[in-house]
Amino acid sequence: MSSHTKAQTPSTTETLPPGPKESREWLWSLIVGLLILGLVATVPVFGDASALHTWTLILMFVVLAQSWNFIGGFTGYSSFGNVAFFGIGAYTTGLMLLGNQPFWLGLIAGAFVAALFAFLLGLPVLRLRGHYFAIATLGTAVALGEFVTVRDVGGGGGGLMSLPLAGLQAYTGFFYAFLGLSLLCLLITVFLTRSRFGYALIAIRESEQAAEALGVPTHWYKVGAFVLSAIPTALAGGLYAYWATGFDPPTVFDVGISVEMVLLTILGGSGTILGPILGAIAFEYASAQLQTSGFTWHNTVLGLAIVIVTIFLPQGILRLIQEFIRRPAAGTTRANRLREGARRVRRFIAANGV
Amino acid sequence: MSDALSQPTESNTSLHAHDAPLLQLAGVTKRFGGLAAVNDLSFSLQKGEILGVIGPNGAGKSTMVNLIGGSMAPNSGAIFYQGHDINRLPPNRRARLGIARTFQITQPFAGLNVRENVMVGAFFGQRGLDRARALHVADEVLERVNLAHKATFKGDQLTIADRKRLEMARALATSPQLLLLDEVMSGLTATEVAQAVELIRQINKTGVTVLVIEHIVRAIAKVSDRILVLHHGRKIAEDTPSQVLSDPRVIEAYLGERYAKKRMQDEVSLYSLTVEDVEQHREEE
Repeated sequence: MSSHTKAQTPSTTETLPPGPKESREWLWSLIVGLLILGLVATVPVFGDASALHTWTLILMFVVLAQSWNFIGGFTGYSSFGNVAFFGIGAYTTGLMLLGNQPFWLGLIAGAFVAALFAFLLGLPVLRLRGHYFAIATLGTAVALGEFVTVRDVGGGGGGLMSLPLAGLQAYTGFFYAFLGLSLLCLLITVFLTRSRFGYALIAIRESEQAAEALGVPTHWYKVGAFVLSAIPTALAGGLYAYWATGFDPPTVFDVGISVEMVLLTILGGSGTILGPILGAIAFEYASAQLQTSGFTWHNTVLGLAIVIVTIFLPQGILRLIQEFIRRPAAGTTRANRLREGARRVRRFIAANGV
Repeated sequence: MSDALSQPTESNTSLHAHDAPLLQLAGVTKRFGGLAAVNDLSFSLQKGEILGVIGPNGAGKSTMVNLIGGSMAPNSGAIFYQGHDINRLPPNRRARLGIARTFQITQPFAGLNVRENVMVGAFFGQRGLDRARALHVADEVLERVNLAHKATFKGDQLTIADRKRLEMARALATSPQLLLLDEVMSGLTATEVAQAVELIRQINKTGVTVLVIEHIVRAIAKVSDRILVLHHGRKIAEDTPSQVLSDPRVIEAYLGERYAKKRMQDEVSLYSLTVEDVEQHREEE
């Protein structure tokens, strides 16, 4: 037992006895994440225009899921209104483009407006919990779409149509812009799992009362996570606006996009580094393939897939993969490992109450 | 106790901050609907003391901790900490002023491992440490509460006793001046209770003032300098352990009138009683 008072804690860490090793899980997740994004980066090299289009959209959803993860996954506040930030980004950038402003300025303006909106919205609604928070954010997104229509913002219900056309080569640029945004979100996520800020968000998710009692100014951290979530979402919206060259309120304020952000993240593994990337790629790729195959039941199949996954893997695809690559205890034979594997599957399913 | 006399007023709070009691409650009342869970409660706590708080179920002990910790606001009365009125401060501000608490129903952060749980306290408590130092403090504190061997366990993989230890470790990591322990010994075995008593003594020796809420009368009597007894939200006694535990009013509150009379004839004080005795008696009635 150490008897010295804690005020005399040595300022250097070199002299300390080594504690248990810190988990390197974050490092592995980062490496795998970089590998996945690196693989995706080759699409413009090997793929055709159709593949480029598909993967640009997939990457957009990767970004949307990753940024939803900040507020929904880490902080545990299921926002169903994140599409509002997407719409704000799209409209701000679109209006700036129509005003003959440079694209990058439009993007930054969109991110800024969305961040401000998230801050002002977060102050009251982040005092709500659970369903009430979900409903409040959902309502805000719907209201914002209606507001744009009714108040005739940038063409009202008709939407912002004739935006300037980007050059043909620009489409590879859009792809890499989304990829870069996704990389940025990956780095932010890794930072969250390692930092004071991220620990506070996880603590808030697990027990807001206990986090508060340990000195975490929970309300400000929640607002911070909401703003952090809004910025990449708005950037994605701005990119989408230029990429699509035109959109109307129902498209960029589509509650379905909000639902997809939630779905993709939970599908992959909520509050994890790789979950949103895996979930978004798996689901959006499957969705795109089914749609282009001409198979008329594609939505039904996707819906069924969601049901099956949420029943059997409520903790996401990532958790299932982790169960299987976890190192077995030292000295186990191959047969034992096989048996252990089978047991894990059964336990996993049993634990999920099936 | 001289609550009324030493009670700071608006004008002299900052002037006499240094010789004010560390914590002082002045006429604090908390009502839930018509029920006063804490009723006109006044007491003060000097720096370096260990104050035990006992009382039957529903006496208002946990509500009292919630009021001091800031997760509830009193309906009337004031709470002074180091001579300053802290009534309007949210819990996180109080934590950074040096008030730490544990929860009777343990609340581990399941998504973090034990060590990371404790790091949250070090990150955000009174000192606001950086990562390297927070890690160091976490390891040191885990060693103190005898949980170092489970540092990499997830917060929800712990036994009850270890969860209680984790609660204490997190609170300690904030580097508190005042530690509020809400039933950290309930659900522990006799050996674990003895360890907890020893731990509380050690924490106190490092200069931390401790307020212990406990059901286990014997354990609390051993560790406390003074004991305060709550009954229906009111303070019915406040004195040294031996005085309090042989106080007829206290025995009556715990055991009921009839049984109290019988026990008084036997010249037995609450000292020798455990919760089990009390509960057994309740069942007999």
